[in-house]
Amino acid sequence: MGEKLLITSSPHLKGPNSVRGIMLEVIFSLVPASIAAVVLFGFHALLVLLASVASAVASEAIFQKAVKREVTVGDFSAVITGMLLALSLPPGVPLFVPVIGSAFAIMIAKQIFGGLGTNFVNPALAGRAFVMAAWTMHMTADWISPFAFDAASGATPLGLLKETGQAPGLSIADLLIGNRLGSMGETCIAALLLGGAYLIVRGIIDWRIPAGFLGILFVGTWIFGKSGAYFQGDGLTAILLGGAVLGGFFMATDYVTSPVTAKGRLYMGMGAGFVTLLIRLWGSYPEGVTYGILLMNLATPLIDRFVVPKYYGYMHDVALRKKARAGGR
Amino acid sequence: MNGKRSLLHDFTKGFIEENATFRMVIGMCPTLAITTSVVNGFWMGVAVIFVLTVSNVLVSALRKQTPDEIRIPVFVILIAAPVVIVELVMKAYMPAMYATMGVFVPLIVVNCIIIARSEAFAYRNPVLNSLMDGLGIGGGYTINLVVIGGIREFLGTGQIVFGSRAFPAKPFFEPAAVMLTPPGGFVTLGLLMTILNIVIQRSEQKKAAREAAATAHD
Amino acid sequence: MVNLRRGSGGVKAPDRKEFSARVRIEDAGIPSELVLFLSQHTGAPSKALVKVGDLVKRGQKIADAQGPVSAALHAPTSGKVKSIEPRYQPVQARMVEAIVIEPDGQGEAVPGMAPLASGLDGVSKEQIVGLAREMGLVGLGGAAFPAAVKLSPPPGALIDTYLLNGAECEPYLTADQRLMEEEASAVIFGFRALMKGAGVQKGIVCIEDNKPGAIAAMKDAISPFKELDMAVMPSRYPRGGEKQLIEIVLGREVPPPPGLPLNVGVIVSNAGTAHALAKAILTGLPLVERVVSVTGEGVARPANFRTLIGTPVSYLIEKAGGFTGTPGKVIMGGPMMGTALRDLDVPVLKGTSGIVVLAKEQAKADPVLPCLRCGKCVDACPMRLLPVWIAAYAENGYLDEAEKFRAMDCMECGACAYSCPSRRPLVQSIRLAKARIAERRRAAAAAR
Repeated sequence: MGEKLLITSSPHLKGPNSVRGIMLEVIFSLVPASIAAVVLFGFHALLVLLASVASAVASEAIFQKAVKREVTVGDFSAVITGMLLALSLPPGVPLFVPVIGSAFAIMIAKQIFGGLGTNFVNPALAGRAFVMAAWTMHMTADWISPFAFDAASGATPLGLLKETGQAPGLSIADLLIGNRLGSMGETCIAALLLGGAYLIVRGIIDWRIPAGFLGILFVGTWIFGKSGAYFQGDGLTAILLGGAVLGGFFMATDYVTSPVTAKGRLYMGMGAGFVTLLIRLWGSYPEGVTYGILLMNLATPLIDRFVVPKYYGYMHDVALRKKARAGGR
Repeated sequence: MNGKRSLLHDFTKGFIEENATFRMVIGMCPTLAITTSVVNGFWMGVAVIFVLTVSNVLVSALRKQTPDEIRIPVFVILIAAPVVIVELVMKAYMPAMYATMGVFVPLIVVNCIIIARSEAFAYRNPVLNSLMDGLGIGGGYTINLVVIGGIREFLGTGQIVFGSRAFPAKPFFEPAAVMLTPPGGFVTLGLLMTILNIVIQRSEQKKAAREAAATAHD
Repeated sequence: MVNLRRGSGGVKAPDRKEFSARVRIEDAGIPSELVLFLSQHTGAPSKALVKVGDLVKRGQKIADAQGPVSAALHAPTSGKVKSIEPRYQPVQARMVEAIVIEPDGQGEAVPGMAPLASGLDGVSKEQIVGLAREMGLVGLGGAAFPAAVKLSPPPGALIDTYLLNGAECEPYLTADQRLMEEEASAVIFGFRALMKGAGVQKGIVCIEDNKPGAIAAMKDAISPFKELDMAVMPSRYPRGGEKQLIEIVLGREVPPPPGLPLNVGVIVSNAGTAHALAKAILTGLPLVERVVSVTGEGVARPANFRTLIGTPVSYLIEKAGGFTGTPGKVIMGGPMMGTALRDLDVPVLKGTSGIVVLAKEQAKADPVLPCLRCGKCVDACPMRLLPVWIAAYAENGYLDEAEKFRAMDCMECGACAYSCPSRRPLVQSIRLAKARIAERRRAAAAAR
């Protein structure tokens, strides 16, 4: 038998996971929210989405060509960054906002640090933070009335809550469908939950991150939400308003910027929820999800350093140490 | 060692090879704070050239008399003197600019660039060389400030303002206010540093390749 | 039925047993050459008792155990000793001295081969241990640890449970499964003999739930014995490792290396080993043959062969109908922990449970992408380690950190690399680190 046989180290079977497969599933899970965005806010929302994705992919290709690295837009990670950034923008922003935001997100928050797997914060959120600081007026006023497709000035429900202490009366149905002012992808909670549940069932994201995030936000708002009284806050509305569901399921769960252990991920989610809570209740912004997640992204290496699973058989080493200490006395 | 070439080199090295901001990474505080506009950056640069050159010369002239143990306080005194001069001159002849620059004028006293050059160069080199070093580093620094300031001002306000004239007269795009804030400053700084270092690296690679080819022929 | 506890890590891989799960065990026959390594077990190599030109009979002892942790070697069939020379041993990946036998095709047994007893009452504890040593019995699960040593735990070690490992969690392999389904009573007899030899009162038969025929047969076989129980576990890789088995069946954890199951009062043996002991007692045949699953997409007629130890792999593949199309990889052992072969003339060892042939498209190596820090490897690791960091440190030469993150605890099961979306060669990197750390430790010990 003169066959040419392949020799590699074990294991010789390949699992079902692949980077491109995971990215495609994430894109798939964002489709309901994207469709909802266009249905709610009209054609301009579609343009924002397309501009953002196009800019993200182009920026990645241009940068990688410029530094003479392999062009990896085929792994679809740039597409996801573009989609997520678009979904977190007000639907009425002028198109240069998503274009520059995506370029910043990809080139500065991701590629300059080494590309896939090396970003130190969530690129889409970094892009959003950049455009928020650069064109604050657009980011806080370019809303569109859902279903009516008219430009709407005025504050989002969260903004009103911050200013007046009263949330506008929105039914749960309104909140689920997304019949309110807000960022393109954050309003239709039903679509987001559908996508998020899909990702959890497919084993792509860890449920602990959105659970920790939304859980702390819910409990914290319930306890501290009403000024002057405790345990009377509206926790449910708190998680249904703003970008909490979008951030909790799709942004905080980015692999690179979340811990590698299950327990670590829970802590990260809870931490992000906690910071968001702080900003919402006692900070000057009405919304804190972006910064809550960004701060916990920065804390992830720290979490990874200290949250280490107890290895198989650890209890024997613990017993040995105890015995050694007792014997020393 | 050719004395004349060394003098010229001491002057030119401050612009690229020993660029204060992008290569030696010193004097960063005022760099980030003052570069929100071109004119601010320019006048700060001029102030630094003056202070750096004068202090370098003084430190170098007195270097043999300055005991090693107390050299730092001596440097500070020799730096503080020209800084006070700059302050008084600015207050008298450019009050608006002085008001804009605020606390960063007296802070030139503790600017890393000046004390670093005193310690690393002026204390160990003759007066003429120290003079050229001061002019060169200061000149390079001024160019840095103008470039960074230009980028930040242009992207952050849409135009560059010289006194009463603005270029372009009206911004043709929506300026990004973030460029005038510290994050914008850091990003600009980082990107410029990257570009300069890539250029230097590539030119050194080319030089090394040329030298390798030359020795291969021997 | 034993209630199971929670296990750590593991991956759900398609078990691919359908190729050979329903194929009855058949004799592979006698090849033209048998290569018997003097070192195909854990421990000191055995010492040859024959010389070139000697005529040997089936079951004749041809090499003796050297020292306490070693095993004897026997001729699988009658023939002539053609040579005694170094040959390439695929699992140890080096040249090892081997006795090469040219069979005469007669299969004549050595005179005096007779059953030791017809029932367990006819053999004593000491006789069983002695037989295990005399008959060259080693663990047939893969590590080939000398059974006599396993049956003699150090004094002071109180063993309360013996586990029979019928899990066979590696995909494709069905040797133990068929053995249990077709010869359950022999396996149970051997198991009870192992228990008697070790002096253990309670025994649990452990089988994965993807082997219904074996479960039914074994359940019947243990029913008369009150000291035997059964644990059926959901199929997951690598639940069949002894450490994982102990964790899920008994809820105990073996101490980290150099810890052994006996430290937590357990001994684990493979179902094939029990069967071999039964054969030794009931027929007097030493360990000279074993069931090998020749399977995979790459062979035409997957089969479970009763194979003579030392049979060339190429012979078995021919007997299994040859390759279907161009083969990609030929693996000795299971596809998760086995060794990819470069030369098909290597022989079957005592510990070879299967030959898996993967088709060319399956075997293709995927490009390696950057680590995403997704944590799937951490979720998969049955030893609850952090493969992501161990591999990263290993790849960049940080041996101290790799050791601190417990690289030496790694059992190289491959679950981490299997689950990695970036297809990073995690096991390879960790193995490299382990080898270097071990070398460093040896050098440090030698220097002292």
